[in-house]
Amino acid sequence: MSRSSLRGRVALVTGAAQGMGAAHARRLGSDGAVVAVNDRVASPELTALATEIGGGAFPADVSDPDSVEALIDTVRSRLGSLDVLVANHAYMSMAPFLEHDPDDWWKVVDTNLSGTFALIRAAVPVMRAAGGGRIVVIASEWGVTGWPDATAYAASKAGLIALVKTLGRELAPEGIIVNAVAPGVIDTPQLLVDAASAGVPLEDIHALYADAIPLGRLGRPDEISAVVSLLADFRLAAMIGQTVQVNGGTTRSRV
Amino acid sequence: MSGASEPSVVVVTGSASGIGAAVARELADRGWVVAGLDRAPSPACTWSAQVDMVDSDAVQQAVHALERELGVVGAAVSAAGYYEMAPITEISTASWTRMLSVHLGGLVNLTRAVLPGMKQRRDGSIVAITSELAIGGGGEDAHYAAAKGAIIGVVRSLAAEVAADDVRVNAVAPGPTDTPLLAPDSPWRDPDYLATLPLRRLTSPDEVALCVAYLVDEGGFCTGEILNPNAGAVI
Repeated sequence: MSRSSLRGRVALVTGAAQGMGAAHARRLGSDGAVVAVNDRVASPELTALATEIGGGAFPADVSDPDSVEALIDTVRSRLGSLDVLVANHAYMSMAPFLEHDPDDWWKVVDTNLSGTFALIRAAVPVMRAAGGGRIVVIASEWGVTGWPDATAYAASKAGLIALVKTLGRELAPEGIIVNAVAPGVIDTPQLLVDAASAGVPLEDIHALYADAIPLGRLGRPDEISAVVSLLADFRLAAMIGQTVQVNGGTTRSRV
Repeated sequence: MSGASEPSVVVVTGSASGIGAAVARELADRGWVVAGLDRAPSPACTWSAQVDMVDSDAVQQAVHALERELGVVGAAVSAAGYYEMAPITEISTASWTRMLSVHLGGLVNLTRAVLPGMKQRRDGSIVAITSELAIGGGGEDAHYAAAKGAIIGVVRSLAAEVAADDVRVNAVAPGPTDTPLLAPDSPWRDPDYLATLPLRRLTSPDEVALCVAYLVDEGGFCTGEILNPNAGAVI
């Protein structure tokens, strides 16, 4: 699918070393974008992905505002611009509310919500100077529905949905289009965390989730990347502040 | 078009103009064979029949005819519709019924015709065009918003009902779109209204078509969802 208007544009995907982030980077690359891939630390996986799709690896901890400033500066100076930001990074931790270590609770919010805040704050001046841009935030079904033992994660993702609604309104007049995707249960390495948290084997978690999904299966990372590609498309500006839910039919509600 | 080696057939209603025609062009561009149903001729389509979507028998016959000629229907897009504004006390029973018959009845008639084959083959995608007015409402739009709102009820219910058959059902709810349905003197074209939109302009039919094409072509894990390309009218 390379009909998208991304040829020659520069995209940055955070949390791209594995799972959905890697899929988004590959998809935007095949749409024609030069893709910078980021993850918290340098790794063979991140380097291999950068080598595969060509834009370069830019490791940085997005929960640290100074690192985020440096990240955006480096991408702009090395690749010439920043037209598309895909905020995909996330830190996941589950615990019953009263048992959740406060430091860890805030680490979830700092990484997922404040990290994205810092990324957008640094990216907007670059996009503004270029006359426009596309920002795609990866939220979560749990940010819409909530989920037991996931207060920090759900709060951080719900915060992202409200951030996107507000920035959608605020930045659209300048041609910077902000939207979100709320994936349901997707088959990624993240499921290992859920399995560990529940104390059951990975295949049991797969079956448990699939049973609750009307389509009867988990989603694939590339099925989320297809929405990212749509929302990154410069031919589409009328989607503004929206959260596209891709969850196999579980939620069926307005965000 | 993802995955298939043989071109697949998509039925698009309201294909003669506006959003339906834009959807037909976008899907044809992606390799679909597009069959159009409209009261008027559909130049953007490979095959077309002139049908009023309120006529259930005519819709059935048209779908049978196109399946004989083109092959089985893999996807269907219900875009047939019209727009008029009226205060609630001035909506006649006839215009209320016509509004529901075309929008809600049109979707139901299309679905009845294409769904059995999709369920049997365990593969299919149905997309309905609803409206931002179904989400947010609007003055003098009671009959239009009721019809478009009912479509959302059908879409979400049908999505739940046929997910186990691997058939997906979604909708797109555009904001005021720059089509012939909006008269030159429509309040939706008023510069004062447009200035209230974050995008400062109407939604274009091509933008709606991109959203429909995603749902038809690549939305494999997306069902029961409403996409809202509305220029920021309802967020």
